Amino acid sequence: MSYPLELKDVVKRFGGLTATNHMSFNVENGESLGLIGPNGAGKTTIFSLIMGEHRQTAGEILCNGEDISALPTYARIGRGVCRTYQIPRPFAEMDVLENIRLGLMPNSIWQMLTRNPDRYKEIELALSVGFSENDLNRHPAELSMGDLRKLELARTLATDPSIMLLDEVFAGLTAGEIAQIADLINKKREAGMTLIIVSHDLRSLEPLIDRAIAMNHGSIVAEGSFAKVMADPDVRASYLGGE
Amino acid sequence: MSQIIIQGLLLSGLYALIAVGFTLIFSIGRVLNLAYGAYLMIGGYVYYHFTQVLGLPQIAGILMAAIFGCVIGILKYRLIVKTLKGDHVAVEISTLILAVVIQAGIVLVFNDSSKILHPIVPGVWRIGGATVTFNILTAALASWAILIGLYLFVRNTHIGRAMQAVSMDVKGAAISGVDPDRINLITWGISGALGAVAGVFFASYTQLSPSMWVAPLIIAVAVVIVGGIGSIIGSLIVAHIIGFMEIISTTLIAAELRGVFTMLLIIGVLVMRPRGLFGREEL
Amino acid sequence: MGIRWQHIALWIAFIVVMLALPEFVSKGTLRTIIFANFLAIFAISWDVLSGRTGYISFGHPFLIGIGAYTSAILSYRFGFPVAASIPLAVVATMIGGTLFFLPALRIRGSYFALVTLAFMELMYQLVQVIRPDLTGGTRGMSGIETITRGAVNNYYLSFSLMVIIALAMWLVMKTRLGTALSAIGMNEESVRGSGLDTTKLKLAAFMIAAFIAGLGGAFYVHYLGSIAPRALFDINFLFTIIVAALIGGASTIIGPMIGAFFLTFLLEYLRPVLPGAERYFIYGGIALILYMYQPKGIYEVAKQGWGRLRAVRAGAGP
Ligand SMILES: Nc1ncnc2c1ncn2[C@@H]1O[C@H](COP(=O)(O)OP(=O)(O)O)[C@@H](O)[C@H]1O
Ligand SMILES: [Mg+2]
Repeated sequence: MSYPLELKDVVKRFGGLTATNHMSFNVENGESLGLIGPNGAGKTTIFSLIMGEHRQTAGEILCNGEDISALPTYARIGRGVCRTYQIPRPFAEMDVLENIRLGLMPNSIWQMLTRNPDRYKEIELALSVGFSENDLNRHPAELSMGDLRKLELARTLATDPSIMLLDEVFAGLTAGEIAQIADLINKKREAGMTLIIVSHDLRSLEPLIDRAIAMNHGSIVAEGSFAKVMADPDVRASYLGGE
Repeated sequence: MSQIIIQGLLLSGLYALIAVGFTLIFSIGRVLNLAYGAYLMIGGYVYYHFTQVLGLPQIAGILMAAIFGCVIGILKYRLIVKTLKGDHVAVEISTLILAVVIQAGIVLVFNDSSKILHPIVPGVWRIGGATVTFNILTAALASWAILIGLYLFVRNTHIGRAMQAVSMDVKGAAISGVDPDRINLITWGISGALGAVAGVFFASYTQLSPSMWVAPLIIAVAVVIVGGIGSIIGSLIVAHIIGFMEIISTTLIAAELRGVFTMLLIIGVLVMRPRGLFGREEL
Repeated sequence: MGIRWQHIALWIAFIVVMLALPEFVSKGTLRTIIFANFLAIFAISWDVLSGRTGYISFGHPFLIGIGAYTSAILSYRFGFPVAASIPLAVVATMIGGTLFFLPALRIRGSYFALVTLAFMELMYQLVQVIRPDLTGGTRGMSGIETITRGAVNNYYLSFSLMVIIALAMWLVMKTRLGTALSAIGMNEESVRGSGLDTTKLKLAAFMIAAFIAGLGGAFYVHYLGSIAPRALFDINFLFTIIVAALIGGASTIIGPMIGAFFLTFLLEYLRPVLPGAERYFIYGGIALILYMYQPKGIYEVAKQGWGRLRAVRAGAGP
């Protein structure tokens, strides 16, 4: 039985610092997993390892049973994995539609040269994450944090993923924006998308996930239902000590 | 053989001095000051003007060079770097343009024929089979004195420690009450003065010409980047590698090839080890 | 995509005016424009690589030099016809472009700029000492075969070359490849995060830039009829190329063209006032002030001015 995503004994060291310390876990098809832990626990590092932005020091990362550890980022995205960033990273001098265009591009120079962008699809994606028609030609500098997160979601959704890794999706958002993004995540979840969500906003996270993993200092502290993980004394201690 | 060792040591000392002003700016502002070579040129020409045209004593010439370098460094920070708000590419490009402007300015004032500086200290010294001019010996000794002085300054004075703090973490330094802007200004001033003084020695070793700024710029860059940013020991070692490589290729291979190895070293190291030979691996 | 009839009309108007120009201006002005045409080609090449992707090249003369020297050596020393030496020179430059590209796999920003600067200095020194019997050493070569004679013919030749390159690049940069290359300049990680192979994209940009630089360099040497290392691998030459692209407006096609013409004519108009190298003092000063005032260049200034003018008119209207 293979999982959409599986980490086997993954270690990542930055010089003397162990950011990921023998982590093993997996997600099932269509499952939504919450990844929690104090600042510096190593959550973002896990995402960069899965995407190939950093290479693990040891261990294996499998996607549908295939070891993707040696693949470059674009090849992993080609296998349906994608992520968003804690701090959104839009293309500053492009408008909303152009930003999304990047996500929709085929990874072939020939096709880039010969085929026109699918404007209809760009607009559809923009509207699907909650942009209004007036926003389509805005530039990132004119967008709110909530809009920037939407833009990032739209650009990653454009790569047609089956697994999404969402990093601190609620950070810096107003209550209204949180509700919108949560709604969007729920829709993807209902559509069968596999999700790993990192968030500090536990109350907003709870209804979005099937299972939680709490980590600290690069290791798993507790794993199971959200209620069970939150009841764990080590998890409570790590939050109190870490913040 | 002893000739190579002695010449190598002396030239390396000079190169370390050339690089040190450049390192200061690079480690504090993380910007490449491509007009750094122009400080050296200005220093050389100012010294030439005051000692050989106006006939002032050497020490006054060196002092004037330092003052000019310092003022130009400060002006450059105020008018260019601050205006561009640390946009690296923009700073690099405008300092490159500035260097070309300064080069043309030198031509305007001094015309474009090259000039020979009288040795700062005349005479030669023979040891074993080797001859050493007092001039390069003075340059090397002065380099070492300045390097040690700078090291003590950075370590032991209030401003020096503030400079260290800013180079490690601008925001953190600002929180703990250091004004990064003021520190930057001071650093640019010091860097300009150091560059200008290095220029006096460099020019007395080679010659004065309006295009003399490119070679020391490349040496400074090589020393700082190949050594690994922020690594003082690394810079010293690389200054010696480059100094010796030049002396060896000049005496044993061909004088025309002296710069080739420096270029190959820059290319090779940056491609193989982008963080430099002695730099930290991941930031 | 995004090509409007206004654009095409502007291109046609530009070409018609330039083709008619020899009827109206002196031979001297034509020679100035010939230089501007070549400078525009070099600036477009620089812009494809550096203006778009943000990998600032301080060694563009290295690429131009490979093109120029290869074609010069093949035709002058080995008697190749120009029709064969130029294509071979372009191929050689593209191989050189790969050398340039290797460091770009690992380093960026200031470091990349430095490696390319080192490449240029290396080439400058090597050309003088390695096989001076081929390269002509420090003095270079003269008496190289020219393609055509006379200011008018050379004007037409250089203009056609420039306009073909500019049009082709304009079309290419209008496609999604252009968008992707500009995106690399804004945020390379995000391009990777959008599922694109940035290595492949950068290689494409470098190859296109090398192709143009090689072509321009080869035609340039067969226009000049001579070549010397100090004129080519020179900071002033590099400076002129970069400033032409930036002052005109990086990441556009028209920008480097505007910049090249602006700089060439500025230098030409300064000549009577300041005949020597000190011209660069005023010239560089103007470039510096313009660049500091608007790093996006004259094109951007004009666009904003036009926008303001339209806003004023719209405000005054009913
Ligand atoms: N590129 C890097 N280089 C060095 N250390 C890093 C790097 N990225 C993360 N770290 C360190 O790894 C640890 C985990 O960081 P991170 O994964 O960002 O934590 P989280 O996302 O859980 O807040 C931290 O101590 C951080 O300082
Ligand atoms: Mg994080």
